[in-house]
Amino acid sequence: MPSPMSQPSDVSCARRAVLGRLYGRAPLPLLVGLDSPLNQVFSLLSRTVTSAEGNSALLIGPRGSGKSSVVQRALGMLEDPARHQSGAASVPKYHVVRLSGFVHITDRIALRDIARQLLVEQDLDNILIGSFADAFAYILNLLRSAGNGGEGAESVPPVLFILEEFDLLAQHPKQSLLYTLFDIAQSQQTPIAVLGVTARIDVMDLLEKRVKSRFSHRQIYVQSPQKLCDFVEIARSALFLTAVTDCVSASYAEQFNARVEGILAAEPIARRIAHIFDFDKDVRQLLRLFVLASSRLSPESKLLQMSLVEASVAQDVASAKLQVLSSVSLLELCLIISMKSLVQCGSSKYNFEMVYSEYKSFMSRHLLVVSAGGSMKVYKKPVALKAFETLVELEIVRPVLTSMAADGGGSYGRNDLLAGAAQAARAPKGYRMVQLMLEPGQVVELVADRVDVPAVIRRWAQQ
Amino acid sequence: MEAIGERLATGKTSVIQDMFKEYEGVAGTSRCYAYINSVECFTSRLLFERTLNAWSGHVPCAENRFSNYARCDNLVDFVNNVRDLLGSKHGATYYLVVDQAERLRDRGPMLLTTLLRLSELTGVDISVVLISNVVWDKFRPRHGGAADPVSVYFPYYSKEQILQVLAKDCPLEEPAGFFLTFVDAVYEVFHRNCVDLNELRHLVAMLYPKFVQPVFEKQATRNEFGRLFKLCQPYFTAASERLYLREISTSEWQKHSTVASVKNNPEDVATCIYHMAENNDGMELPHYTKYLVIAAYLASYNPSRLDVQYFARGKDPSQKRKRKGGALVAAVDEDAGARDRQQLLGPKSFAIERMLAIFYSIIAEPVDSAVDVQTQIASLITLRLLTKTSAGERLDGIKCKCNVSLEVVRGIAKSVRFDVDRYLYNFK
Repeated sequence: MPSPMSQPSDVSCARRAVLGRLYGRAPLPLLVGLDSPLNQVFSLLSRTVTSAEGNSALLIGPRGSGKSSVVQRALGMLEDPARHQSGAASVPKYHVVRLSGFVHITDRIALRDIARQLLVEQDLDNILIGSFADAFAYILNLLRSAGNGGEGAESVPPVLFILEEFDLLAQHPKQSLLYTLFDIAQSQQTPIAVLGVTARIDVMDLLEKRVKSRFSHRQIYVQSPQKLCDFVEIARSALFLTAVTDCVSASYAEQFNARVEGILAAEPIARRIAHIFDFDKDVRQLLRLFVLASSRLSPESKLLQMSLVEASVAQDVASAKLQVLSSVSLLELCLIISMKSLVQCGSSKYNFEMVYSEYKSFMSRHLLVVSAGGSMKVYKKPVALKAFETLVELEIVRPVLTSMAADGGGSYGRNDLLAGAAQAARAPKGYRMVQLMLEPGQVVELVADRVDVPAVIRRWAQQ
Repeated sequence: MEAIGERLATGKTSVIQDMFKEYEGVAGTSRCYAYINSVECFTSRLLFERTLNAWSGHVPCAENRFSNYARCDNLVDFVNNVRDLLGSKHGATYYLVVDQAERLRDRGPMLLTTLLRLSELTGVDISVVLISNVVWDKFRPRHGGAADPVSVYFPYYSKEQILQVLAKDCPLEEPAGFFLTFVDAVYEVFHRNCVDLNELRHLVAMLYPKFVQPVFEKQATRNEFGRLFKLCQPYFTAASERLYLREISTSEWQKHSTVASVKNNPEDVATCIYHMAENNDGMELPHYTKYLVIAAYLASYNPSRLDVQYFARGKDPSQKRKRKGGALVAAVDEDAGARDRQQLLGPKSFAIERMLAIFYSIIAEPVDSAVDVQTQIASLITLRLLTKTSAGERLDGIKCKCNVSLEVVRGIAKSVRFDVDRYLYNFK
C-alpha cells in the first residue's frame, strides 16, 4: 500500500544502502569472478575450524580487487552454518584475530593486541615479559585453560589470524610475529590458520629463510575483473536495489534499477568506466563516480540523477591542479609563464631571482605594448616574492632538494622555502632552486581558459 | 570520506563548521563531530586524544586533573579506543574533520592511510573530512593503501563575491554604498597581484580611515569621490605596497599615520611613511665592518679569476677601468651569460683569506692595528650576515658566503662613500 509515510523511507533506505556499499561499509551483494579464491579461502578456514588443521596461506591481489571482501565473505559463511544449520554443538567455538600492517607497526604492539583480542579481561602487563614466542605460548595456554573451564576439552579452540597488509608486517625486524605464527600453524599443537592479505606480488622475497621454511607456500591469487562487462557488473551490483534486503518497495526498486541501467549505458559514463578499466581496474575508483549522485537522493528526486554522475565524471577527468590554479592573480600567472619559458630555454631548475629577471626582461621588452593595451605595471621584487610564495604554498612550485634527499625520500617531505635547516643555511630565500610542477602544455591551457589575461601575456604563454 | 582542496581563504573551514553546527541543531547529536586542526595537534598523540575527547564529550578540567579521555600513544590504542567507545552505538555516524590535512603526511607514513581506513578498521561508521589547500595528489600516501577520497572543490570568489564579503566589514556608522565604492577601488588596484581575501581585508581596514578622514576634517564631502581619492593618493602609492608586505606593522601605521594626515600635506605624508619603514632596517655597523660586508659581497659574487684585474694595487686605475669596461665585459656573451649570472645564481662560498685580501684592497686608509678584524668576522657570522659553509669544527680554511642582498650592500656602500657597482662583474 503506497501510504505517504512509506515513500520517503524508501528513498532514505535506498540512499543508506547504496552509499554504504559505495563506501565499502556494507559488502556488495555478489562477488563477481571471485568464486575460486573464495572457495579456497573458505575451505582453508573451515578445515581449521572443523578438523583442527593448522593452515597458512597468502591472499595476493592488486589493490581494490576484492581481497578483503573475499575474507569477509568467507568469515561470514563460516559463521552462518554455525548459527543456523547444525547447531552450536557440532561446530566448535573459534576466535578471529585481525591484525593490520597499518596499525600494528611493531611486533610488541601486535602481541598486545592479539592478547587483547583473545582474552579481553586478562591483565596484559604480566603477559608481555620475556621473548615473543614465550609470551605467545603463554597467551595460548591461558586460552586453553579458559576453554577447559567451559567444556573440559584438552584443546585450544581454533584461532584464525587474518593479517592485512602482510608485506608491512613482514618488514618488522626479525619477523618474530610471522615466525611464531607460522611455526605454530605447522606444528599442529594448536589449530590456527594464518591468512596473509597483501597487494605485493613479490611478498615471498621479503620473508626470512626460517620464516619461509615454516610457511605452507599456499598462495591464493585474486585477480581484477578480466572483462569489461564483469567490471560494469560490479557497479551494477553496488547500485541495484533488491526489495527484500534493502527494505524498499518492489515498484520503487524496479524504477531505481531501470534508471541505474540507463546511467550505466549512457555514453560519457560508459566511456569513463572503460577508461578506468583500461588503466587500473580499481573498483573503488569506479564506485566513487556514483557517490555524488547517490548522496543527493531525496524525497524530491528519488532516482539517481544522470547529470550528477556526469559531473563527477567531468571532475575526475579534469586536472585538479588546473582547477586550483584557475583563480591565481595575474602576477602569479606571469611568474608561472616565466618559469615555463625558463624550462623551454633548457634550465631544469631555477630560483626566484632567475624567474623574476625573466619576468622583468619580458615586461621591459613589451612595456610599450602593454601600456597601450591597459594598465599593467612591473611589480617590485618583494611583491613578486610574496606572489611566488603563494605558489609555493599551493605546491605548484616546489624546492629542488640537493644531494641527500635526491633519492625520492625528499619528495615526500615538507614543502616550503623555509624547510630544512641545512637548505636554509646554504642560500637566502630567493636563490633556492625550485621546479614548476606543471607541463608547458598545461600552462598554455591554463592561460587559454582565462578571460582576463591581456593579449600580450597570452602571446607570451604560447611562445 | 571527503577531501577538500582549494585556495587559501575560500571559506572551507567556515562552511564545514557551520554545516556541523546546523546538523547538531537538527539531530541533537552533539558528540559526533571532532574538529582537529593539524597545526594545533602537531603530534599524532594530540590528534588521537583530542578526537577521543570530542567524541566522548570528555572535557579536561580541574575535576579530572586535566586528563584526557584515554592515553593514546599509537595507532592501535587509538583504533581500540574508538572501537570501545563507539562500537556499541550502531547506526550513528561519526565525523572527524582535519584542517590543513596536508601536514599529516609528515606524521609517519601510516597515519593518513589509517585515518582514511578508520571505519574499516574499527567497524564504526566514521567519515573523515580532510580540509586542505593542496590538491590530493600532493599528499596521497605513497603506499597506496587508502582509497582516494571524494574531492569537493571550493571555487575562488568572483569579484562580486569578494565585494560582498568585504562589504560585511563596513563600520556601523558608515554608509554602505560609500564604503563599497572605496572597496571597489582597492580591489581594482590590488587584484592583479593579490586576490587573497585576507590580504584585501587587511588593506581595506588600514586604508579606509585615511580615505574618510577628509570628510571629518571638512575638506571634502562624501559625494566628492574624485577629490577624496586624490587626497588619499599618497597613501595608496607610498604606503600600500609597504602595508601589503607588512613592512609597516598595524600598530605603527595607526600611530604614525594620524600624525601625518592631520596636516594633509602630501610631502609630509610621504616622508612620514618613508620613516616608518626606515626604522625597521636599523643596520648600524662599525666602519670597518661595513667594508668587511662589502668585501664579502664582492668575494661571493665576483669570479676569483678577475680579482687581479679588479683589486691589484699599483696599477693605473684608469687602465683598470678601461679593461673592465672594454675587453672583460665584451668577452661575456650577452644572451648566453644572462641566465646563469652569479647575480641570479646566488652567493658562492669563498675562503676567508680571499675576503680579507679584497678588504685590504678596497679600504682606502691603512687599518688601525687596534681593530681586530677576526672578531668582526665572527660577529658578522653571528649576525647571519655571513654564513659559514665549511664544517663547524674546522679552525683553518674557513669558507663563508655572503648573506646580504644587493640593495643592502648598496646602502652600506653609500654610507661609506664606496662605489660598489664599479667592482661588480656582469651585474644588471
